[in-house]
Amino acid sequence: DPQKTAFLLRKQWTLYSVTPLYKFSSANLKEYARLLGAFIAAEKQKGFAVEVGVDLDIRVTFSSLPDLRGSDQDHAAMHVQLSSRSVSSKNSEEKLMWSGWFCCVSGDDLSENIPEDFTCLPLFLANGAESYAAIVGSWFQKTFDCRFRRLAISPLNLTWMAAMWTGCKVEKNASATELVFSVPCLPQPLDISYAIHPEDAKALWDTVQKTPGEITQEEVDLFMDCLYSHFHRHFKIHLSATKLVKVSTAIASAHCDGIIKFLQSKYLIGVLMLLTELAISQIQ
Amino acid sequence: MDEIVAEYIRRTVLKIPRDEIKTMLQTWGFLSERQLQTLNFHQTKDNVSQDVAQLCEDNSVDIKQAAVLDIIYNHIYPNKRIWSVYQMNKTGEEMDFFDLTDFKKKFKRRLQSALKNVTINFREYEDNAIWIRIAWGTPYKKPNQYKTSYVVYHSQTPYVFISASVLRSTLPLLCQALVVASNYHDIREMELRSHCLNSLKDIVFKRYSQTFQTYCPRPLQERNVAPESVDLRIIQENRNEKERIQRVNREVFGDGPQPKLEFAQYKLETMFKSNPKMDVLDIKEPFRCLVKFSSPHLLESLKSLAPAGLADAPLSPLLTCIPQKARNYFKIRERKGIFPGSFVSP
Repeated sequence: DPQKTAFLLRKQWTLYSVTPLYKFSSANLKEYARLLGAFIAAEKQKGFAVEVGVDLDIRVTFSSLPDLRGSDQDHAAMHVQLSSRSVSSKNSEEKLMWSGWFCCVSGDDLSENIPEDFTCLPLFLANGAESYAAIVGSWFQKTFDCRFRRLAISPLNLTWMAAMWTGCKVEKNASATELVFSVPCLPQPLDISYAIHPEDAKALWDTVQKTPGEITQEEVDLFMDCLYSHFHRHFKIHLSATKLVKVSTAIASAHCDGIIKFLQSKYLIGVLMLLTELAISQIQ
Repeated sequence: MDEIVAEYIRRTVLKIPRDEIKTMLQTWGFLSERQLQTLNFHQTKDNVSQDVAQLCEDNSVDIKQAAVLDIIYNHIYPNKRIWSVYQMNKTGEEMDFFDLTDFKKKFKRRLQSALKNVTINFREYEDNAIWIRIAWGTPYKKPNQYKTSYVVYHSQTPYVFISASVLRSTLPLLCQALVVASNYHDIREMELRSHCLNSLKDIVFKRYSQTFQTYCPRPLQERNVAPESVDLRIIQENRNEKERIQRVNREVFGDGPQPKLEFAQYKLETMFKSNPKMDVLDIKEPFRCLVKFSSPHLLESLKSLAPAGLADAPLSPLLTCIPQKARNYFKIRERKGIFPGSFVSP
């Protein structure tokens, strides 16, 4: 349902991998919201959460997102929201300050092998101030004995994303396939943005990819080699020796620091499936 | 009106580093030395700027005087703005005698006849540079002093450096006024942009150390190099290649410091040519790409690529031609005919 997931699009989400949650139950969401709210209030007293002014009241909401999953084996996604309201002024509106959600899309690799009391929601996405992510993360870690870790995306995985997303069918006026490379270790750092017209990039990928519905490492490598050699022909620079830090297409954009932006709801589940896989392999 | 001018002065002073405020106010000359003595420059910048603004307001400063302080600031810190380069053309070879008063009069007249609400200030500097500050208004609104365009014109050359404000719609009028005032025929924008005004000048005035690219490989030159290590068992395997790279790099980039640019952009519309080993795309349509290089000091960065092993030496002429061609925006199409694989830049 595109309406429900619209809030996910065009926002920058920071990615984390999360180990399975112990004795978590979706029947207790209201209770969890209450407990997390109390935890945050206590942290504020201690002087954390410096973003918020003293007279802001924070309300915590936990909700379930049943559509965000790959199959019935996956646990429904769970959304945590922090909204603030000014304590002093009575009629002030509630403003969404921070948003985070756990999900699992086709996470059978992990969920098949875990014991009964554990819930498998290996991917966590956060939008908002880092300090809130830290507080929410530490409450979850204390309460469910899990562990959060920033999910880095390697250049290899970025090339897969570039190839896969370029191959997706998009409408006219789609945005370019853009690869951003960084060369930090020079006396003067250099950044190179290499953007290819989406139709031309797709045409190249279509000639490389042989088996429908299946992508191999060789095909991804060949696609990248083509792009590298076209670049080298013009500039005599070996892009393969630089660091690929960001990939951007009409479907989504991903940064090696573990930051993602979803741009089309049609492909949301597909991207989440890939990210779940990355989260699981970071956990294992 | 006074508070508006005073506020403008306060904000301008706030931009200046604290240690420079006194000197800049002295250069400005609106406040006398005695008045400057009454100010405490060791306070926070906030307080200094308030005091200066108050003192100026007490002395009935007007907007044209305030504008001079802005020019002085921008002349010392031009790199806060982004500059584009324009070249004017005239038919015929006559070198007209440049009359500054005439230029200023014609420029003002042209602008003001089209747009009544403009603030125009001129300031001349020793290197024949004329700085022009224009604050733009509309037929119904007074000039917005925070939306200014700057023009730097070296009267002995056909080049003009313009830092347009956000109001790009005023550019045609500005260009027209320049052409009329300087007795040229027309003006065109060069594909050259940077924050570093002095580097732009270096490039168009050819003030950097130029190189003459040759195709004859020169024999290795003797240089005074201390032996890398005393132990003769250690051999640098690719020492020859390293020296070749250094030599070629020097030939291509020259020995002196590079002009400072922050980016270069290439719109590629060339054919995709696959390696015969790769059995891929063989289309008759161009492979459309947009490549952007960015760096705090682009040319130095590019110069270091080959020695770092990240590029071949010599680096592509598309990159090394930037200072000679005086451009950092390019559109590259395939050259048809005799030499496949070579490029034209229109």
